[in-house]
Amino acid sequence: MTQVMKGIRVLEVAQFTFVPAAGGVLSDWGADVIKIEHPVRGDAQRGIKLLQNWAVNPQRSALMQHPNRGKRSVGIDVSTEEGQKLIYELAASCDVFLTNYLPAQRQKLKIDLEHIRAANPDIIYARGSAFGDKGPEREKGGFDSTAFWARGGSAIMVTPKELEGPLPQPGPAYGDTIGGMNLAGGITAALFHRERTGEATEVDVSLLSSGIWATACSVDVSMDLGESPFVNAMPGGGVPHSTNPFIGVFRTSDDGYINLTVLSPGPYIEDVFTHLNMPEMAKDERFSTAETIMENTAEAFELVKNAFRSNTFDYWTEKLKTMRGQWAAYQSPADVGNDEQVLANDMIFDVETADGGKPLRLVANPVQFNHEGVKNSRAPEASEHTELLLMELGIDWDRIEELKAKGAIA
Amino acid sequence: MDIKPGSRWKSAVCTAEMVVVRAPQSAGELQCGGVAVLEHSAPQSPSGEPHEGHSNGVMIGKRYIDEESGIEVLGAKAGAGSLAFDGRPLNLKEAKPLPASD
Repeated sequence: MTQVMKGIRVLEVAQFTFVPAAGGVLSDWGADVIKIEHPVRGDAQRGIKLLQNWAVNPQRSALMQHPNRGKRSVGIDVSTEEGQKLIYELAASCDVFLTNYLPAQRQKLKIDLEHIRAANPDIIYARGSAFGDKGPEREKGGFDSTAFWARGGSAIMVTPKELEGPLPQPGPAYGDTIGGMNLAGGITAALFHRERTGEATEVDVSLLSSGIWATACSVDVSMDLGESPFVNAMPGGGVPHSTNPFIGVFRTSDDGYINLTVLSPGPYIEDVFTHLNMPEMAKDERFSTAETIMENTAEAFELVKNAFRSNTFDYWTEKLKTMRGQWAAYQSPADVGNDEQVLANDMIFDVETADGGKPLRLVANPVQFNHEGVKNSRAPEASEHTELLLMELGIDWDRIEELKAKGAIA
Repeated sequence: MDIKPGSRWKSAVCTAEMVVVRAPQSAGELQCGGVAVLEHSAPQSPSGEPHEGHSNGVMIGKRYIDEESGIEVLGAKAGAGSLAFDGRPLNLKEAKPLPASD
């Protein structure tokens, strides 16, 4: 990948996924990201032993690799005076300070805006929070399942009313990963602004702001109406869209699912019916024009539904490859790594693992420059680069020994 | 064997490579797979295999320590042999995060 961030240095004092994922994106783009971890405990993310019921293998932890690819880890105890001094020395050489520590912790650890700016007045100070750096919930922590998913309307909208309670977020770190990308975008814009004007700004992105950005279309409509008109139907009912037979979720004979979303059916009538093995229906006057097919939605929908039921998932995914009308097969996360289109667009890359075993495959950040896929290295082990990085700063072995003896580094 | 901090070494019997990040307080021999390690710049390539009982492996990016001498070694390349100092096996020094689940 073209290293658009080459020469940019990021100092990250952050844990879990959301804010580290912003550093991970910047690292994919070529930034030098220095991740500060507690010298004994490491990033709290390393403590996640179970994902739902799946036991995480710490030597092959995608959970660590995903947000931390390409970084260097330096173990510093920021609660010590010597540790804080090191943070300031590092900050002096960095373009961006990135943190998800809560306001009280930032003050206590002396890594708040005024402390970091005292070390480097030109540094961009980027905060990722649960609920924003203003207002009554400023001091409150959160995870994406709370601040991104439960708040903001996603869970309520995705859940059909017939179900007893709101559905959970799809898989781990869903909102964190989206929020991390938002934060990386904000930092990038701040770097651009600093380049043009010399002014270093603060940057704030929260899981709440990311959550309501994801639902913004629905929130905007609902604010205008005073209520939400958006209701998801229970799946499996086979109920047609009110005026469009080429919109729906269709089950194949072997219980796979295909989504058709042909918003303007008119230009696709022949295309869709031909691919569904009933070209004659495109000439049937009930369905032959945009107006008549929309008037006869229920009848056309039955035909489409029965066509999908008559053959297998593999049959349809092969058959529909040449259809112009918009469609997609429903995939599980396990299907994605074999998706021809995903692979052809270099959306996956490999990193080595600590145990020297087969490489781990990771999803690349979603942006590409000059058509080039990501080439990045693995996530660091906890405190892996402490001594090597401090030596780069010009700190000699005697001082490194001294800092170790005091417990300020590991 | 002059084991200075920052010095780089490689196993004589497997693919492992390592960096010393804390020097030992006392003189001694750094071993991998039961055999003295080679200087990283040494012309020899590793041959043979780790001795029995010395094949727990070296992992990339992990720290290994001997509390008695204070030596601390960082894995730079993975390999099959395990590290020792003067015959004492080095212990893996891992982060001890609070347990959590998602």
